[in-house]
Amino acid sequence: MLLDTENAAKPQSRVNTRHIEYLLVALLAAVTLVLLFAMGFFAHAAAETTEGKPQQFAGYVHPNDMGTGALLFPSREPGSFVEAPRLATDVVIDVNGPVIRTRVTQRFQNPSKGWVEGTYVFPLPENSAVDTLRMQIGERFIEGEIKAREEARKVYEEAKAEGKKTALLEQQRPNIFTNQVANIGPGETIVVQIEYQSGVHQSGGEFSLRFPMVVAPRYNPDPIVQTVDLDPTSGYAVNDPAPDRDKITAPVLDPARNAKINPVTLTVNLNAGFPLGSVISPFHDTDIQTINDTARKISLTGGSVPADKDFELSWSAVAGKTPNAGLFRETQNGKTYLLGFVTPPAEDAAAGAYPKREVVFVIDNSGSMAGKSIEQARESLALAISKLRPVDRFNVIRFDDTMEVHFPALVAAAPDKREDAIAFVRGLTADGGTEMLPALEAALRTQGPVEPGALRQVVFLTDGAIGNEAQLFAEISKNRGDARVFTVGIGSAPNTHFMTKAAEIGRGTFTLIGSEDQVAARMGELFDKLENPVMTDIAASFDGANAEDITPNPMPDLYRGEPVVLTAELDGTSAAGKLQITGKTGSQPWRIEMDIAKASEGKGIAKLWARRKIDDLEANAYAVNDAAALDKEIETVALANHLVSRVTSLVAVDVTPSRPASEPVVSTDMPLNLPDGWDFGKVFGEAPQEVIPEGQRKAALEQSEQQAMLVADSMAAAPTARAASMIADAGKQVDLPQTATLADRHILIGLMLLAFAVMAATTFSLWRWQLRGLVSEARDRVR
Amino acid sequence: MSDKPGNDANLKQDQEQDKEGRAGFLARLNALETVVLAGILLIALAGVMLVGKGFYMKAKAEVSQVLLKRSFAAQLAGETDTRPWPWADFTTEAEITALRIGESAVVLSGASGEALAFGPARLANTPMPGEPGTSVIAAHRDTHFRWLKDVKPGDLLIVTRKDGTNLTFRAGTSRIARWDESGINADAPGRNLVLATCWPFDATEQGPLRYIVNAELVADACPSTLAARGGLAELPVKSF
Repeated sequence: MLLDTENAAKPQSRVNTRHIEYLLVALLAAVTLVLLFAMGFFAHAAAETTEGKPQQFAGYVHPNDMGTGALLFPSREPGSFVEAPRLATDVVIDVNGPVIRTRVTQRFQNPSKGWVEGTYVFPLPENSAVDTLRMQIGERFIEGEIKAREEARKVYEEAKAEGKKTALLEQQRPNIFTNQVANIGPGETIVVQIEYQSGVHQSGGEFSLRFPMVVAPRYNPDPIVQTVDLDPTSGYAVNDPAPDRDKITAPVLDPARNAKINPVTLTVNLNAGFPLGSVISPFHDTDIQTINDTARKISLTGGSVPADKDFELSWSAVAGKTPNAGLFRETQNGKTYLLGFVTPPAEDAAAGAYPKREVVFVIDNSGSMAGKSIEQARESLALAISKLRPVDRFNVIRFDDTMEVHFPALVAAAPDKREDAIAFVRGLTADGGTEMLPALEAALRTQGPVEPGALRQVVFLTDGAIGNEAQLFAEISKNRGDARVFTVGIGSAPNTHFMTKAAEIGRGTFTLIGSEDQVAARMGELFDKLENPVMTDIAASFDGANAEDITPNPMPDLYRGEPVVLTAELDGTSAAGKLQITGKTGSQPWRIEMDIAKASEGKGIAKLWARRKIDDLEANAYAVNDAAALDKEIETVALANHLVSRVTSLVAVDVTPSRPASEPVVSTDMPLNLPDGWDFGKVFGEAPQEVIPEGQRKAALEQSEQQAMLVADSMAAAPTARAASMIADAGKQVDLPQTATLADRHILIGLMLLAFAVMAATTFSLWRWQLRGLVSEARDRVR
Repeated sequence: MSDKPGNDANLKQDQEQDKEGRAGFLARLNALETVVLAGILLIALAGVMLVGKGFYMKAKAEVSQVLLKRSFAAQLAGETDTRPWPWADFTTEAEITALRIGESAVVLSGASGEALAFGPARLANTPMPGEPGTSVIAAHRDTHFRWLKDVKPGDLLIVTRKDGTNLTFRAGTSRIARWDESGINADAPGRNLVLATCWPFDATEQGPLRYIVNAELVADACPSTLAARGGLAELPVKSF
């Protein structure tokens, strides 16, 4: 090469200077990189420290976290609650054919030296009907009476103001209710008893029930992390008031010992109505007592109750005797109530082979979705798209006040198309208004005809912040065709009313995603449904009997292994006529007929019917213009059946039998004269299930005392009953939004970067001139 | 061998060899120097963009208030569906004025999503100002509620609702709380107003603390609240 030959005399020096140059430049680049990384890291760290919540006392809980029945007291930390020590729990579950009646009795204690107003929360299985509430607070017995919601609240508030013991049970959501208990005195014991009715769950020839037993986070063996909480105003940290807190709480975490302190007794009286095969409780040790062919009595083997699993019991018939249809009847107030179930024949071809699907995803990227909501929506949708199979076809539509259909028509979900769509979704930002109608029209009307044998599904991700609900409902019911509309509610406060109704009219389901960590689990449930429909277009009718009310109405699609379960109200008490159920498996029609006269007697069917009737009324609310009339209708059904609903509540009234004044109250722990029909016996006293060695028992008791003290320490108790209600009210607080923009931060960092660039440029030019000098000097010297 | 011109010539040749096709200023740099220079330019560009973004956010907040005031005036005049701009995802709801400080802002509905970038917003789960309970209005500390730190106990706050009602609130105490431990009860007795913004005021990062100013409806604006105030009546009452 020209260079080599010409400069052959001084190759060594050239190489050397080059090396220095490279080294210096590399050094500069490294320093720049380190600086940039450091900047990014600090920004990140700052964000993390400010977003994260300071470590709290492990006993603080929130009503929504509760997995089992618990009595919550307001804590010293505003907005948080502490769980009252649970002294005993007794559960009796009666199964009669398809109906389950559950009675839960729990004893709690107010360990503090002040007055408190507590909130009792109990998560219920879906579609259970609550009809009974009984309480004993201190020495007063009170029993709930069903009243219209407003009226009940008034009664409660009045009683509370007068310093009386009172309780109010309200439905918050269909499967969550809260029971407020006012005026619990220092050291008093509270016994709560509730009863509810629900249906036996059936799936693939197996019958099952579930009772929530997962206890509060307090008992989960989470490591206790101690952090120093710096006071934002002074900059000083305050000493942890209980430095050996881990020592106090750790022993309580042992589920086996915990069971001994807070015994749980559970009995199931199983009367299946058919010859029983196996009876299994998958998570708990049970004693099963055979009463006869069709009946068993199941109780927990005393002592160890794992605190991390709900109680489940499943039973099946002896081989060949599995009922695939059943009809039960109850007459009440001159009317006949029916409960029928049919398991459609499992189609051999359908096993394992999924039907082809055509999915239209619609995502809302309007301004109201800005922030966390759009992130969750993007993530959920990307997950949904990635789950499609190559035989499926799909399309993505996004809308704000404008709208964009990603593919011109439905495309096969080949990997490249899926990736293309996911990239499109990930690039979405939230801005602009919410014009939902055009997007809905595009999803329902312009996606071409449904291929034979395929399922058309429209999945709608939105927060539902819209005003023209009625128009949208009309659009769905008019143009749905064979499509199923599934709604996915995003964000902390989505318009659940709109989305539930839209899904019901669209014969799909509504999925609520409240936070980032729910995305995978909730979307997973939705995929199961999207992938496994078994029977569609189900309808029931009566031949020769006058039935106005068949619930559910309309009948939902069936998924793998599920039976059709329906309840109905018939005029009169005569058992004549036939029940017909029709449906479609794929394109194959299916039909079954049952004779009402052959129905067997069942108990509690009227209540189950009422509960389902209320659900249906709520579901059809969009079609009723007069909201007051609808409420009235629900109220009538609920009051007639003594059920808690959105518009009716149970309010407790004093039913304490008068106690002779000469008889002093020895201890609140001792039962007084129990009114007839009250069965609190099992939860009184410590009543350990088995004989525990004296030393161990003493240690256990000490632990429970320590625990009670800890709870008392963190409780916000008041000196008077009136003050207690004010503290309880403060628990219902409003969360404030983020009100700092990053504008100042952006400007600051931007200016810093600019300054750095100017400095670097100056250094660079100086250095370059100097280097020049150095290089030539070095060369000179070599020569 | 020490003739400098020859040296320079070599160097020049060398550079030309390295960077064929370059001209002007760049021609005088070798490859690594170019990379360093490009890096510096990139950093400068990022800086300019960040500064621009910051000022854009501030400008958006100020300019949108002008549009919002116009649409709110139209709303007061009786026009329906007066969106401040066609693609807005919220509606105007009220106007809040701090008399002594001489600041005012149009309040939007629902503090979700991006509404707060344009103006103060009433939290959707709290009642309208003047209704029984505690109404909460939140806004950014560096734009619309910059003046909140100057609100002193006893200051009068005028809220004009979209239905034309003029309400006077008197500011009470202020405090600092975490966002999820505000202690604000939307169903509290009385007709209260709470203004909230982020704290500390001069911080540049998003933190968990909020500055909360309590205010109460002045009695003569709505006589029925007098009874509801009950024991809290010892607040300084000025005549005006």
